[in-house]
Amino acid sequence: MIEVKNLTKIFNRGKFNETAALVDVSLKVRDRSIVALTGPSGCGKTTLLSMMGLILTPTSGEILYDGESVLRASDYWRTQFRRQNFGFIFQHINLLPQYTTLENVLLPLYSSDLAPGEYEGKAREWFSRLGIADRADHLVEQLSGGEQQRAAFVRALIKDPMYIFADEPTVFVDEETSRLIYGIFSSLRDSGKTIVLSTHDPELMKLADEVFRFSKGRLC
Amino acid sequence: MLRKHRNLLDYSFDCLRRYRMRTAVILVTFLVATTMISAVLFAKEGLEREAEFSVEAAPDLTVQYLKGGRVEPINTSYIDIIAGIPGVEKVLKRTWGYAGIGAYTFVVVGLDPEGLDHSRGVITSLEEGRFLKPEDEGTGNIVIGKLIAYMLKVKVGDDIILLSESVEANKFHVVGVFSDSSSIYTADLILMSFSDANKFFSMPEGMVTDLCVYVDPAEDPASVASKMNSVSNIRVLDQDLLLRGYKAAYGARGGIFTTLWTILLVAIAMIAFSQAIVVGHESKFEVGLLKTFGFSTLDIIEVRLVESLVLGFFAASLGMLIGYFYTAFFNAPGLVDILLGWAYLPREFRLPVYVSLQSVFSIYAVTVIPLLITTVVPAWLNAITDPELAMRRAAA
Ligand SMILES: Nc1ncnc2c1ncn2[C@@H]1O[C@H](COP(=O)(O)OP(=O)(O)OP(=O)(O)O)[C@@H](O)[C@H]1O
Ligand SMILES: [Mg+2]
Repeated sequence: MIEVKNLTKIFNRGKFNETAALVDVSLKVRDRSIVALTGPSGCGKTTLLSMMGLILTPTSGEILYDGESVLRASDYWRTQFRRQNFGFIFQHINLLPQYTTLENVLLPLYSSDLAPGEYEGKAREWFSRLGIADRADHLVEQLSGGEQQRAAFVRALIKDPMYIFADEPTVFVDEETSRLIYGIFSSLRDSGKTIVLSTHDPELMKLADEVFRFSKGRLC
Repeated sequence: MLRKHRNLLDYSFDCLRRYRMRTAVILVTFLVATTMISAVLFAKEGLEREAEFSVEAAPDLTVQYLKGGRVEPINTSYIDIIAGIPGVEKVLKRTWGYAGIGAYTFVVVGLDPEGLDHSRGVITSLEEGRFLKPEDEGTGNIVIGKLIAYMLKVKVGDDIILLSESVEANKFHVVGVFSDSSSIYTADLILMSFSDANKFFSMPEGMVTDLCVYVDPAEDPASVASKMNSVSNIRVLDQDLLLRGYKAAYGARGGIFTTLWTILLVAIAMIAFSQAIVVGHESKFEVGLLKTFGFSTLDIIEVRLVESLVLGFFAASLGMLIGYFYTAFFNAPGLVDILLGWAYLPREFRLPVYVSLQSVFSIYAVTVIPLLITTVVPAWLNAITDPELAMRRAAA
């Protein structure tokens, strides 16, 4: 279970451009569930996902994984925790353009004792499921937006993580692929994974066990 | 554990291959920097070594006559006075000065006929012809440096005309050419018999330029020199002093150090600049992303370190090789004037090149270390910022 307690993020504190991106947010994410965050642009969805994914330090508040506070842990510990448990799908996709689709997908494996080569089969399997098998060995910069998003999807799943953070995972893909992704998310939940996503997609919200609505950085 | 390091190593090499622009910029910057640094440094060391050889060829002590603090010709009557000092083995007279041929100035030395067979202090290695003999007195026979032979296109058997101070044309006959074209001592040297030199420089009867003193090998030249303090109006130069003079000419005061430092600073600035502009932006995003995936700060530093080391050592080694060929075989076009400007040697002089282990290490140090610092420090700074922010700032 993920518990978020009184989480606040204020950017540029004390400066003229101070922004309260998230204010005093508390929520719980049960294991084996899909949780959707929604709300207008700029309401703090990405900020919350980043903090839960331990890639952004909150201004105040607490985050607990299975009852254990993770914010006071060292940077090294948090990095290791991410490596072992998290998969990320970013709003801006964030693939390295100089690498091929396959290389991008295998990248998370390089910081571990796993042999990236052994995961190639698994990656290609995912590529065929998502209809980008023929793009596996192309440079990412040659891919369309939707193809890139599918590649990012595979990258998040390659290590079979416990928690998946997906920031608007269906914005760039067509309806057919969206439906494919809904199916994958629900089977991931069935296999015991926990998924936190942000979305404007009503279908995806329907799939979620719980939906949190935000407005101007606050839960509503 | 080992597997991870292999992965990181693979990733480093991938980076070198994939970020072509980045790799190319560093490679080119490095090649230019190390080529220039090594050209100057190798030539500087070559010149310094030549200076040491010249000093070894010099007499143990040189005695000059001082009048009102200025050096003037010395009377040969001093020979007996100095020869009488304990520890002095031999005293030879020498007359020397400068002579012009066309736009060039060469050094003319007349050697004591008694010294010609003296084993110490005379360079006799010739490429062509023979060395001077006592019988050459007054014949106009000369031995010339290889540089002069090359510049004037003369060989043994040819005659050359030298202009003396009184602008009198004097004809001389080449009987030998020194062998080493990189020797700063013999390159521009014209050796003639003692009486020819005296006549050429219109020396008054019984006067010579200076006296060469050879000390008994068992004695310390410095202590023998101190015994000459009692002789008035003379100045004694020892080899240390000559060496210091040479080093000053070829070192700090000669501008070679300034040149070296300037090149070095420009090189480091170039490295830092290329790092900041090309590499910084690209790698910030990458570091944020890797950090998100669970690469630790140390992993990221390891990747960057390997990348820089491989690239730095490869480029620096290649740069040194180019620098060596550039100086040793092409005589450093574009740099030779800076290198020789202070040495009174014409640019046709072939630069002596010497590569010491120490200068190779220094070149690695001054190029690879700045590269390491300029890659590792930003990588580390990026790695300790929140990955989300690192990615966001780089994307913006
Ligand atoms: N690094 C930052 N510095 C300053 N302000 C920031 C920063 N990151 C986000 N913000 C601000 O915080 C607020 C929340 O941003 P966030 O990206 O979380 O919104 P969002 O809900 O994901 O929006 P969208 O649906 O458009 O992606 C916005 O007003 C944004 O301008
Ligand atoms: Mg967002």
